[in-house]
Amino acid sequence: MLVAAAPWLITTPYWRGILVLCAMNVLLALSLNLVMGYTGQLNLGQSAFYAIGAYVSTILIKTYHWNFWLAAPAAIIAAGFLGLALAAFAVRLRGHYLAIASLGFAVITYQVLVNWESVTEGVRGIYGILPPVGNTLGLFYLIAGIALLVYLAMDNLVRSPVGDTLRAIREDEISAAALGVNGALWKAFAFGVGAAIAGLAGCFYPGFVGTLVPDAFNIVESFTMLAMVIVGGMGTMLGPVIGAIVLTFLPELLRGFGELRLMIYGVALTLVVLFLPGGIASCFKRAR
Amino acid sequence: MLQARALSKSFGGVRAVHEVTLAVPEKMIYALIGPNGAGKSTLLNLLSGIYQPDAGELTFRGENLIGLPAYRRARLGIARTFQKIRLFKQLSLLENVRAGFHIHQDAPLWRYLVRGGSDRYDAEARELLQFVGLGERMHERAGALAYGQQRMLEIARALATRPRLFMLDEPAAGLNAAEVDFLLQRLVDVSRRGITLLVVEHNMDLVMNVAQRVFVMDHGVPLYEGTPREVQANRAVVAAYLGGEFAA
Repeated sequence: MLVAAAPWLITTPYWRGILVLCAMNVLLALSLNLVMGYTGQLNLGQSAFYAIGAYVSTILIKTYHWNFWLAAPAAIIAAGFLGLALAAFAVRLRGHYLAIASLGFAVITYQVLVNWESVTEGVRGIYGILPPVGNTLGLFYLIAGIALLVYLAMDNLVRSPVGDTLRAIREDEISAAALGVNGALWKAFAFGVGAAIAGLAGCFYPGFVGTLVPDAFNIVESFTMLAMVIVGGMGTMLGPVIGAIVLTFLPELLRGFGELRLMIYGVALTLVVLFLPGGIASCFKRAR
Repeated sequence: MLQARALSKSFGGVRAVHEVTLAVPEKMIYALIGPNGAGKSTLLNLLSGIYQPDAGELTFRGENLIGLPAYRRARLGIARTFQKIRLFKQLSLLENVRAGFHIHQDAPLWRYLVRGGSDRYDAEARELLQFVGLGERMHERAGALAYGQQRMLEIARALATRPRLFMLDEPAAGLNAAEVDFLLQRLVDVSRRGITLLVVEHNMDLVMNVAQRVFVMDHGVPLYEGTPREVQANRAVVAAYLGGEFAA
């Protein structure tokens, strides 16, 4: 309801654009939360899958003249497979080691986008990309609708026995194995699905902005997703959604403060982590 | 049921388990005892697949276990608990036990995406919690339980896999007398259901009263195997426990 009403409350084109961005961020936060919040794998490479979704779909559309609705599934599958590729390393690593490896993965992906100019146009970028839906409002409803579907499906998944299994891996992989859980398989599942969802978000980004440059998928993007998940509440369904909304709008609302903006943003993040270790979602739980 | 032949495992230069041969018969309470550092926990880790042996043979109901990871052995019907309790601490008691039904879940994935929660094993999970005396607390966090209760929860979770062979690593450690009594009762109940028990234990009450056979280890090698009465009467065993000078 609130999602449907949002565009009426916010009418200027600029803010409507922010709404679209927000819907994409919700998807990204959900994708990372599955891997990090539920399965307990500290993954700093999520921006790479976002990038793959964006580049694969755009190249298929611009160079090979595919239809968006064909290119998008292909891009999602490509991102998913890349997620499985990272999982191949991830199943052997945990904690900080996985964080470093996944960060390296994001850096490599970024470098490939910059240097493989014959395909990606490198830093020159790809221009004149059209969105799948003509106006901003339509694009918002499309992405928000997809985000809602993803949310509902994931909510079902984490309440199902699969959710129990993923959480068991997060809590203690050895005792999960003693219960018959193939940890490598389920971690790969989480990485693959998480990557596919990030790839899905990536499909919409180029059309929305109109151009595509590697810098949009800088590793900072991974940390922004990380912040959304942690600030909202890791391992809860609503938390990352709240985190994505807050961290999309907060920097925009703070624009009035000019140069001070980033400092206030940083302090706010620190305060949340310091005083609300369970994220914003934990407030609701406590209030209940 | 479970047969090990000349099983060995070294860590660096230390021979934690050296050429251990043992056979656990079906539907028996089989105790594994020995002084600290005798290699009991290492042996259990070899049997459950947490470690792979350097040498030796291992079969379970005729199937070769060597090279099989822990999760595959659990599927064959081998469950275990840990000496240092390993619960899913942030999860509720019910979630802990529900996770134990993992290998019995057979619904296709898409159904979970559409329908979500499955209560197929909820009733059975509740029963198991009742069975270990934790039925009233199923929605509490496992990490909030007292030590003895955590041990019982770990037992309930392992039973959820519906094992044929259940291995417990010092289940009575850290329990008070009343809790040990309750544990004993429960282990006998489990055994009556036809589940074979392999219990590593220091608590002699438990070993001498409920075990049907006792396997004694010291310094990584088998020392003696027999009935509890025979073990108590054996000089080598007494010497290993109390020191040489008592074994006149």
